Amino acid sequence: MGQLAGKVGVGIKYTVLIIYLAAVVFPMFWVVYTSAKSTQEIYKNPFGLPRVITAPSTENAHILVENYKRAWIGSHFSQYFVNSLKVVSISLVLILLFGSMASYAIARFEFFGKQFLYLLFLAGLLIPMQLILIPLFFQFSDMGEWLTKAFAPLGNLITGGRGLWVVSLHDSHAGLIIIYVAASLPFTVFTLTAFFRTLPNELREAAMIDGAGEYRIFFQVMMPLGKPGLVTVAIFNFLGLWNEYLFGLVFLNSDSVKTLPLGLASISMQAQYKSDFGLMFAGLVIAMLPTLLVYMILQEKLTKGITVGAIKG
Amino acid sequence: MATVQVKNLIKKFDQNIAINNTSLDIEDGMFMVFLGPSGCGKTTTLRCIAGLELPDSGQILIDGEDVTNLPPSARDIAMVFQQYAIYPHMTVGENLAFPLKAVRTPKEVIVQRVNEAAKKLHIEKLLGRKPGKLSGGEMQRVAIGRAIVRRPKVFLMDEPLSNLDAKLRTEMRAEIKRLQKDLNVTTIYVTHDQLEAMSMADRIAIMYGGSLQQNGTPSDVYDRPANLFVAGFIGSPAMNFIPCRISDDRTTLVFSESSRMTIQPAAKTRFANVPTGRDLILGVRPEDISLRKDHQAEYEESEVYVVEPLGAENIVDLRYVGSALKVRTLPTFSANIGEILYMRIDQSRSHLFDSESTLALTG
Repeated sequence: MGQLAGKVGVGIKYTVLIIYLAAVVFPMFWVVYTSAKSTQEIYKNPFGLPRVITAPSTENAHILVENYKRAWIGSHFSQYFVNSLKVVSISLVLILLFGSMASYAIARFEFFGKQFLYLLFLAGLLIPMQLILIPLFFQFSDMGEWLTKAFAPLGNLITGGRGLWVVSLHDSHAGLIIIYVAASLPFTVFTLTAFFRTLPNELREAAMIDGAGEYRIFFQVMMPLGKPGLVTVAIFNFLGLWNEYLFGLVFLNSDSVKTLPLGLASISMQAQYKSDFGLMFAGLVIAMLPTLLVYMILQEKLTKGITVGAIKG
Repeated sequence: MATVQVKNLIKKFDQNIAINNTSLDIEDGMFMVFLGPSGCGKTTTLRCIAGLELPDSGQILIDGEDVTNLPPSARDIAMVFQQYAIYPHMTVGENLAFPLKAVRTPKEVIVQRVNEAAKKLHIEKLLGRKPGKLSGGEMQRVAIGRAIVRRPKVFLMDEPLSNLDAKLRTEMRAEIKRLQKDLNVTTIYVTHDQLEAMSMADRIAIMYGGSLQQNGTPSDVYDRPANLFVAGFIGSPAMNFIPCRISDDRTTLVFSESSRMTIQPAAKTRFANVPTGRDLILGVRPEDISLRKDHQAEYEESEVYVVEPLGAENIVDLRYVGSALKVRTLPTFSANIGEILYMRIDQSRSHLFDSESTLALTG
């Protein structure tokens, strides 16, 4: 009796898990295989498999190639992809560099105002980004002008007086990167401070006695030891920034600087007048691919990293 | 090669005094051991010498130079930590090379010094391995290797053997002592293990409650303990203590109204300066008591409480005038629980301490 109940329990558990798995995985598959369909095909049979699978032929394969070609070249996805890659990777490098240095200092040094500084970072977690969007917009406008003036002598020196060196935080990747870095630091500092606190202090002391200065200690001893923590925050930040839409929308206007989420949005806006769903699904797959790759490669580190700092190692 | 001087060192943690006005001189090339129970201030003193703690007052001089406020990197010292503190992401070779790289040593010199150190410590085959794959003993060798590779003025060792098993500890003890003599580098070694201290040290500084209790050679602290704490801390089994007084006519040791012991002629001069009529404590090492089965002059009756055979010797626990006494005997000496034995304390090797001040009254 007990055995039977146990088996039924396991059965129910697995059924629920399988349904959950299907609910998560199916939409992803759907997006991928639908990107091989033409718009007509999608209208006719939204959930069916594409003809390239049911009736493989050069002509049907051509639809798939055509969708991706139109997305990658025709709809400038190659440009958006490179833009996203540039903005996100530079942001990540800066977030990890500044985040880890700030966290290490908070976790390991005693200085006046340390607790206040830490709380200030934490306060950043409590501010909804939407709330500061408009003030930030105006602030960046003013700052751009101010920086242009401030850098004018330097710009003249470099360009040989040939023109003004315009510093713009609007419609430029630099502006977006600054926002991304600032917005990601609270979470990064919060996680990494907890992580650096768990690293044995003896290693730092050993390095001090070995004659290493603070920079060598940080970059050659503490940073490598902090790798699990750094990987975790890198993944979380990557996922957040790769899909970030709102700040991109407000701060980037020209097509040449737009990131992938903005590119996707512009296709769907065009679709109001001319529904090209094949193209849209191909665009979605392109946007999704890096995220999926990051998940697949670093999945183990991600699950491990979630508990980072939760228990003392 | 250097001398180390600690002058009037005081270190507090909040309001707790960790080191209370300690002064020490360590000669060039000496193996100095700081010995004491946990919380006695020995590690804090070592960390102050290393520069890992800033003293509240006092001075630390290395080779005559005041280093009290210098960072550890500027003191030209090396330290072996209790938990080894080997960088886990570097190979053994990289660990050994780290202190040399930190002071920008030329590459050829690094390779040569790392190989030399590895050879000396028999870890040549481990150079390419990561610390995670090493045993405790191997990690200890790497930690020592990293200390010797830079040829510092002073070695500091903070309980380096406490994580090893007993057999390995004995082996490493001898190796560290030999290494220190070969390199002839001034060494300060912290331990709570008195056997380690006795077997390795040129001099032992015994600490308790943040204060230096005695600073002397191993035979000094064993044969001429300065106070009750040192007498009880050094030696295993520990020294036996029996409360007593000296009679006014200086002929007997009075344990109680009914029990007395005649002062032996050989001890008369030893006890000559001890004041009469004060509460004293007689300290006797377990090997300074002899046992017999039959009665003889100067032998006192006592009862066997338990016998601990240790192989190379037997420890016989006796009850005598209300005190428990441990006696070291040959392994061939046998006795049974409850048996009456006759014992003689060699007073010429015994000590008398003032019960109140705990200071030794015999030289």
